[in-house]
Amino acid sequence: MYSDEELSSLLKNPDTQRKAFEYMVGQYNEQLYWMVRRMVLNHDDANDVLQNTFLKAWNGIASFQGNAKVSTWLSRIAINESVDFLRRQKNHGVVSTDDDMSIANTLMADSYFDGDETQALLQEAIAKLPDVQRTVFQLRYYDEMKYSEMSRLLDTSEGSLKASYHIAVKKISEFFKSHD
Amino acid sequence: MKRQSGMEEEKYLIERVGKENPFRVPEGYFDTLTAQVMARVDASPQPVPSVEKKKAKLVRLRPIHYAVAASVCALFISVAAYVSFNSSSVDSAVQQTVAQQETYDSFDAAADYMMVDNEAIYACLSSDY
Repeated sequence: MYSDEELSSLLKNPDTQRKAFEYMVGQYNEQLYWMVRRMVLNHDDANDVLQNTFLKAWNGIASFQGNAKVSTWLSRIAINESVDFLRRQKNHGVVSTDDDMSIANTLMADSYFDGDETQALLQEAIAKLPDVQRTVFQLRYYDEMKYSEMSRLLDTSEGSLKASYHIAVKKISEFFKSHD
Repeated sequence: MKRQSGMEEEKYLIERVGKENPFRVPEGYFDTLTAQVMARVDASPQPVPSVEKKKAKLVRLRPIHYAVAASVCALFISVAAYVSFNSSSVDSAVQQTVAQQETYDSFDAAADYMMVDNEAIYACLSSDY
């Protein structure tokens, strides 16, 4: 098991790069998958976004300076890829406004979604948030990420992240209260 | 009605929906994920070292060299045509001298303006690109 510093230096050395990258994929794939899956919701989409994330990391390995932690570097690429995917989906009109095809109903019909109706509604409420609030909510609510770490990851001030999270929580609470 | 604070609203949400992960993955998905990713990595080109990126920038600048060479050639041909046309007139000898002088001045002015010298132009014209 390599430390972050060891992995950084192995990734920068052309002789050990591929082996270190393979180790890194094994080390972080599950953590990144769940981060991406909660953003894009569907397993096949999450798989595509995750594979693209690792390919981007491989192709941009020269730009990895080792100043940031490997996990921060990868998470940043994964979040950017997820947000890009969601924007493309919106631009192509994939997100339906039809009640029968609502996000909650789509999730309830998904064989890789084990939640109940309340959890499906939570995912729908999260999906309705703007990109930044959506990302901040996922990282804080599910991953319980510290604001200081989130600040490094998203390159945004802690104060602004806290504000985004509280607005997101308020919107989702109001969504549920309106459904009670 | 009492206004709820951010903490209270978060508490309400946790009690109402919880934090459990409602998603799951196909059986054995994570067992094969690394191999799948590495197969795609191996099929993609090797990452470009940062030193070679600078070379790529120079290659992208080549069209400017083309443009400079083409402009110089166009200028040269225009002046040659002008000289040739004027040489057929009655006082061609005098006009040719003037034209040659003009050619020299225009060429120099253009070369100075574009900050290229003869060596650069020849190097550019004889370049493989």
